[in-house]
Amino acid sequence: MKFGKRLKQQIEESLPAWRDKFLSYKELKKLVRQISSAESCVEYGKADAEAEFVHLLNNEIDKFNVFFMEQEEDFIIRHKELQQRIKRVIETWGPNGTKPSEAEYKDEMAKIRKDIVNFHGEMVLLVNYSNINYTGLAKILKKYDKRTGGLLRLPFIQKVLQQPFFITDLVSKLVKECENTIDEVFPVEQEDEEEIVKEQREAITIAGKGIFRNTVAALLSMQEIRRGSSTYGHFSLPPMDLPDSDLIHSFQLNSPIPIV
Amino acid sequence: MLAMCFFPVSSGREVMENSASLQESSLAPSNGTLGNSSLSPSIVTDHMCASALPHVQYSHNPAFISQSSRDLASLPPLGASFSQSTASLIHTQGNKDVSWSLDRLQMFLDLPENTPAPNQLVESSTGVLASEDHNKKTNWQEWADDLINVVDPDWSKILDNTNVLNPRVEVPKPSGDISKQQPQFHQNQLVPHGEFSSHAYPSSTAPPTKPRMRWTPELHEAFLEAVNQLGGSERATPKGILKLMNVEGLTIYHVKSHLQKYRTARYMPETSEGTSEKRITSIEEMKSIDLKTSIGITEALRLQVEVQKQLHEQLEIQRNLQLRIEEQGRYLQMMFEKQKKVEDEKGGVPSSASDDLLAPLPGSKHPPCNNGKSDSEALEQDHSRTGIGPGNAGTNEDKSSSGVSTKQKMLETESTVHDESGFSVSKRARTEK
Repeated sequence: MKFGKRLKQQIEESLPAWRDKFLSYKELKKLVRQISSAESCVEYGKADAEAEFVHLLNNEIDKFNVFFMEQEEDFIIRHKELQQRIKRVIETWGPNGTKPSEAEYKDEMAKIRKDIVNFHGEMVLLVNYSNINYTGLAKILKKYDKRTGGLLRLPFIQKVLQQPFFITDLVSKLVKECENTIDEVFPVEQEDEEEIVKEQREAITIAGKGIFRNTVAALLSMQEIRRGSSTYGHFSLPPMDLPDSDLIHSFQLNSPIPIV
Repeated sequence: MLAMCFFPVSSGREVMENSASLQESSLAPSNGTLGNSSLSPSIVTDHMCASALPHVQYSHNPAFISQSSRDLASLPPLGASFSQSTASLIHTQGNKDVSWSLDRLQMFLDLPENTPAPNQLVESSTGVLASEDHNKKTNWQEWADDLINVVDPDWSKILDNTNVLNPRVEVPKPSGDISKQQPQFHQNQLVPHGEFSSHAYPSSTAPPTKPRMRWTPELHEAFLEAVNQLGGSERATPKGILKLMNVEGLTIYHVKSHLQKYRTARYMPETSEGTSEKRITSIEEMKSIDLKTSIGITEALRLQVEVQKQLHEQLEIQRNLQLRIEEQGRYLQMMFEKQKKVEDEKGGVPSSASDDLLAPLPGSKHPPCNNGKSDSEALEQDHSRTGIGPGNAGTNEDKSSSGVSTKQKMLETESTVHDESGFSVSKRARTEK
């Protein structure tokens, strides 16, 4: 039940509007069980059952695609708007602007920083959304094949790989561009490393509900999912290499729901 | 369960060959008004729709290509029907439609690649298609209904040619099928002046039902330009924007919804989405509390970015791995099939599928990647084990009861492969354990 549980946790921690957009992993698993137990019945029944299963999977995929593309479109718009906004702030309240004002400038920049970081986070979470749904699909297909002796997984997963929701290139590109913008609007770091680490630990209390929390949850889930399991095979992903694993784990200290 | 691949067609289209009756039901009346029945999905019957392809006015309906490619893709990818539909495709196209039909053909050709010969696979892909069409059917009625209510007087003429497009563009309607995306890819590729996404969208997966617009930054730029020319987001109208943008395949519905999103984004200065505001506020509250404990918001934000960056990086790595794994799997599958053919031709080997698949050739021991062999063997082990011992599936989904022993068996198999040349018998013995 490991993946199912992880998925559920991630869903719980995700942005509310997203919560019903994830894979219905549990339901599909139930269906696979039903199919495999009933399949001793009739050959004809099996073909039908498979068609039904595939039909449901397609519905899920469709759900992902629609949601993903809507979000993507939003991101495109917001990305552009953020850039315009930064430009406006600089041009208005910046040192060379029309009404230079350090106070206003700082104020606005602070807001922009906050917004842009959250925006960055949201986009990353969409990539995560894509990934976790893909992983779920791969797993459920594997289960199906295993339980029913079918050969559905390989061809079906090939189709999935070509679905819009899996092709996250554009969003990733926006994420990178956002990172560049972030570098531009954040002051250059001046403190030395140790200080920073200390401050970062103190920032743990910031991880309340929201994007940051979701991100932490996502990272840790990923790590867990990829830890070797009994069904670990050659189609499985290798364990994750997460350099700041400890730090990220520490972010959970204050979270009411333990993630691991 | 053979599915129809059809799309309702606007008036003035030639009806092709045998599916005339079906075709008629999907033809829109010539004056542009849409009757319910005209848009009823010509799908999900036992007909082979292969030969009945609508004649499309290419220039007006670039999106049609996607549509038709979807149709095309939903044709049963079986040999017989394939050639039949191919023939009819080429046969029935007029001048304008040549490139269109070639596109469809292209899409069509793509499909069989993904669905290799073996019956089981074909069955599953047909299943995929069938189920998609199932969905299509239910949706079309709804769309048709909506469309009738929504139709703009100005559009009645255009509807003559493009009525099929409109339902597809109903963005808010969430249902649809895996194939829905096809048209989208195609639409982007049709956008002229390189305004479309630079992504390399694959051409075909499964039949598209409802083409959805996939926006790109370039397209958005064009949108912005048009909006600015028209005096800003408040003044600009979808129609005007659409005209200025002059992008093939873009419809007013696309523009409308995009404009709405844009307006929302502009006038929520703090955050672009109302929903995220609440969340951001709570973060901000926590941050302000934290200020007292010495850390600055800026530092907290930096930290957040770092974590986010990490997540993103890991996701990219993971995605690439997943792609490679499947690629490998596909390659191995091909290898096994070839091997199977060879084995069959040799004639001696008793063929249960698993046996053949388990019988490796010296050549197959050295697939491009290191894991190759073990991948395939793991794959086949799974299958054979499932076939032989369904009871093993057990209650525990995530753990096979023979967790560790599974791996051991795989290793044993590998060593067997190395040692023996007459594999199948010994392999079968092993898997039966």
